[in-house]
Amino acid sequence: MNDEVLIVEDLEKIYSGGVHAVRGVSFKVKKGESVAIIGSSGSGKSTVLRCINRLIEPTNGIIKLNGEIINNPLADVNDIRSKIGMVFQSFELFSHLKVLENITLGLKHVRGMNKEDAEKIALEVLARVDMLDRIEAYPGNLSGGQKQRVAIARSLAMHPEVILFDEPTSALDPELIGSVLQTIRGLADEGMTMVIVTHEINFAKDVADRIIYMDKGIIAEEGPSEIIEKPKTDRLKEFLSAMDEE
Amino acid sequence: MFPKEKRISAWKKIPESSRILIIASIIVIIFLTPNLAEGYESTWNEININSNNDYNAAIIDSNGNAWVFGDDGIIIQGEKLANWSIVDSPTIKDILTADSNENLIVAAGSDGVVIYKEILSNEWINIDIDNQTRINSVSINNFDEIVIVTDLGGIKIFKNNEWLEINSLTSENLLDITFENGRGLISGSSGLILGSEDNGLTWEIRETPEIIATSEIISIDYYKTNRAYAITSDGTILKSTQESLTTTVGYSWAVKEIESENYSTSINVNLTSLDVLSTTKILLTGQDGFVALSKDGGNIVTPQLLPEGSKNQTINDIAMETAFRGIIVGDDGKIFYTENGGEDEPVGFEIIDLSDFNEFVDFTKDNLWEGLKSTVKIVIFGILLGFFLGIILAMCKTAPTTLKQMIESDLEKTLTLFWLVIPISIFSIKQSGIGLGIFTFLSIIFISILVNHYINKNKTETEGFLGVVIPEHHRNKIIKILGLSLLIGIPISGELKVNGGAELIYSALVDFHDFKLGSNTPKLSSQLGYIFAPIGNPSAFFGLIIGIALTYLGVLFVSTDGSFSKKKIYAGKLILLISIWTIILTELFVGFELNKFDLNINNLMKFSLFLGLGFFLTRRITPELFRKKAKLNDFNISIEPWSLRPLNSMATLYTDFFRNTPLLVQFMFIHFGIQLGKHIQNIGVDFTSDLAIISSYLGPLDSLFSPMIDYINESLFGPGKRSYLSAIFALGLNSAAYQCETIRGAIAAIPSGQMEAGRSIGLTYMGTMRLIILPQAIRICIPPLGNEMVNLVLNSSLASVIAYTELTRQGKLVVAITFQIFWTWGMVMIAYFVVTWTLAILLRRLEEKTRIPGLGISGGS
Ligand SMILES: Nc1ncnc2c1ncn2[C@@H]1O[C@H](COP(=O)(O)OP(=O)(O)OP(=O)(O)O)[C@@H](O)[C@H]1O
Ligand SMILES: [Mg+2]
Repeated sequence: MNDEVLIVEDLEKIYSGGVHAVRGVSFKVKKGESVAIIGSSGSGKSTVLRCINRLIEPTNGIIKLNGEIINNPLADVNDIRSKIGMVFQSFELFSHLKVLENITLGLKHVRGMNKEDAEKIALEVLARVDMLDRIEAYPGNLSGGQKQRVAIARSLAMHPEVILFDEPTSALDPELIGSVLQTIRGLADEGMTMVIVTHEINFAKDVADRIIYMDKGIIAEEGPSEIIEKPKTDRLKEFLSAMDEE
Repeated sequence: MFPKEKRISAWKKIPESSRILIIASIIVIIFLTPNLAEGYESTWNEININSNNDYNAAIIDSNGNAWVFGDDGIIIQGEKLANWSIVDSPTIKDILTADSNENLIVAAGSDGVVIYKEILSNEWINIDIDNQTRINSVSINNFDEIVIVTDLGGIKIFKNNEWLEINSLTSENLLDITFENGRGLISGSSGLILGSEDNGLTWEIRETPEIIATSEIISIDYYKTNRAYAITSDGTILKSTQESLTTTVGYSWAVKEIESENYSTSINVNLTSLDVLSTTKILLTGQDGFVALSKDGGNIVTPQLLPEGSKNQTINDIAMETAFRGIIVGDDGKIFYTENGGEDEPVGFEIIDLSDFNEFVDFTKDNLWEGLKSTVKIVIFGILLGFFLGIILAMCKTAPTTLKQMIESDLEKTLTLFWLVIPISIFSIKQSGIGLGIFTFLSIIFISILVNHYINKNKTETEGFLGVVIPEHHRNKIIKILGLSLLIGIPISGELKVNGGAELIYSALVDFHDFKLGSNTPKLSSQLGYIFAPIGNPSAFFGLIIGIALTYLGVLFVSTDGSFSKKKIYAGKLILLISIWTIILTELFVGFELNKFDLNINNLMKFSLFLGLGFFLTRRITPELFRKKAKLNDFNISIEPWSLRPLNSMATLYTDFFRNTPLLVQFMFIHFGIQLGKHIQNIGVDFTSDLAIISSYLGPLDSLFSPMIDYINESLFGPGKRSYLSAIFALGLNSAAYQCETIRGAIAAIPSGQMEAGRSIGLTYMGTMRLIILPQAIRICIPPLGNEMVNLVLNSSLASVIAYTELTRQGKLVVAITFQIFWTWGMVMIAYFVVTWTLAILLRRLEEKTRIPGLGISGGS
């Protein structure tokens, strides 16, 4: 089916230290679908995301974007990455550049746009994340929530096929989480394809079309968001009750 | 308060490109400004005696009296170089040559005339050899015997009151003779030089350069016994130094390339006489009033002025009492006297009233200002060079490129490098020198990257390199073949081949073995001299290093199984241990001749030291050995040969070298040792003359460009710029090593997420470096780099040792003239302080300006 944007098959990752972080993970993401990955700390969620845009090289397995295998050593990583957005837990805004410049950088230097076109797109995406009023600010002068929204805008600007979120709210104060989740929800409604690693169970239930529960490097349970209410496996049950206690 | 934007608007309003242009042109102007032109005046004073005879020879005797000899036998005495008078002469024949030592004064000339006088007596004694021989030169040997030379190979020695013929082995005309400490030199026509080691009784022919084979060597002179110089009548300077412990000065001769004459070997003047004042200072005279001084053994020959009105007479001889005081004599009764080594003086020079600080400052400020400018020049270029090199090195050091990556994902590129780029570059180095080799290297890399880019322009998936893709199932084979070629080399054609690692190591070891260092004893310690082998044969040393690298890669590639992971060396620790003990035991036992072996305290100490060291190392390397039940497998060493980062290793080699040797020694090694300044100057001169040729095709534009080219040539690569160029490079290369470490630290301080974020929007590694990592890193390292720059200013004072006239050296010169030590050094110190302090303040401002709002802690604002 060609409406499957992202296909991960038998993904395996062994770090050079010998840690077997991911042991055979397979899943598919359809166009416009948002998939949430949940799981306890160290279960390999981040590793899966990083393998998808090849920030780290998978040890085994196949990753396809729009039907093209992207993890052979000869593929053009830079081109692939520009089609896959990534939002980090720690924002990773370019602190020496103003908000607007943070967003135009990729457009100018990867897409080769001129300044005017790049700024037009930048303003568009900044409007989508509700950050138009701070375009001249430096990241250091923004709140955490604002930073994360700018980071989301930065990946949106590249018109990616899919955006990967790695715990976008874990580094935020509780009162700031709302605005970021709001933004992501908005993107889901607009039909953006997304893979979201999160610890916000309720948010995952709310936004995600499908939920993947990872444990010790494998997918322990997978299904529509209802699995949160009615977990089938004991492991997920345990995990959910542990999360509730927090 | 204005908002910040308004305050800096004027400068910011200028478009960025123009701003860069302005800064660049300021730098160029500083770079190229020549030192102020100065007026000079002659320090030769004419001495007038009522005679118009041509004076041909002059000497100053051991009492400090001058004697001038000339046509018609005229003899003039200059008592203490002050009271000049014509004295009675025993002859009316033309006197052409003269010599003196502690006891004798002798003169000789045409028609066989030879006269001499004992210093203490007033009487000249006539010992003519005959009535027709023209005597070209006369000299006195160690036994007070007079030796003369004539045309057609004639040498005669006045021994036991009679003239003795000496066999000269030649029939060339002999033109000059000189003795020093029993050794003699004779020069003659057809580039002939004879040498004698026995006070002139026997002579042998010495080797001279081909280039002067048809020239007349008109004058030859020793300086003590460690230098000798000679000149030809057509303006060439020859020099001889002691080449080894077993030969003496005068055995081998080299023609000087004269820097001030555009590296020609001739100064294009008909020379007449030469006097060597010190090992490097020589005075030359010639036709048409030519007097010239060289203070660096002939590199730079500067013509000196004679007083107005007496500029055109041929000068025939020089007689110097000291390096500064003496006379020159010439045609038409000219005698000139100097107390300044004949060197021109800047106009206005006078000994001033040193007790007056006002006048002192007035007098010295020009010198110090010149020095300050010179300091600033080398500092600016040192900083720039150091900064750019430093960034490149820092990027090499942080580059993640591993061997694994080069082979696994960039195999095609690596193959291009080893099988195409390097062989072609080596080929062109062998054919036409280093410069073109490097140029070829860079241009092939550039071209192949361009071609590759073009081939892959419209492809979504880039594959391989230059359109070549090595299929998966062949890759291992290809890697093995690559390894093999690194080990044994690549034949190009016939004799020409690119050497493999094995061969490079072998031939380097053979070359080193030829030194036979420490061959007198089998003890290892006596072969410690081998740590100097790199200097003994630099090319063999580089061959060795490259050979080791190639062998490493070769063995690795040949033995690959396609996994590029860790390797185990079985029992590796034991092998290491055995080698260490072999060395220790050889050192302790093989070296001792058994009959001399006794248990004195020295030997005991040595024994305990070495054994102690051995056990210490054993403990450190193989602690397992002391455990019970150690298995052989415990001694395996596991290495990760594929994780080697070649760029990092090369950069580390560079920085380690420069950070672990003193800057002062680097200065001397770079300037005197490898003569970097000279080489750059040569390249620069070649380059600008090529530019001039190109410019000459430009028609009307030529008149615009050629003065500019001339100006650059003159002010950058002109005579006397060698120490300038060397100083810039010594400072820059050294500073690069330190700046590299600072920048590397700053790069490491940027969170790794920034690199990931850059890569995740599709930027390349280099793109992320340039746009994201470096801009932030540089901001972090402004304070430490500022320290480094201040250090560089202070270090620049070391450039005075290579005779670059910067502030410190100007200080030395001022002290030499005025003897005002306190004032001078105090003023120099203040000058340095002002420069570095200004720099520090500017850097502080820069730090504030570039500070990223909301980032880091700063002391309020
Ligand atoms: N660079 C690395 N080198 C070695 N091991 C690593 C590396 N990164 C992660 N690991 C290990 O891999 C395992 C999975 O890590 P990963 O970061 O994917 O977990 P996670 O599910 O994202 O956890 P968290 O919820 O805490 O972010 C962990 O055991 C971790 O220690
Ligand atoms: Mg994680």
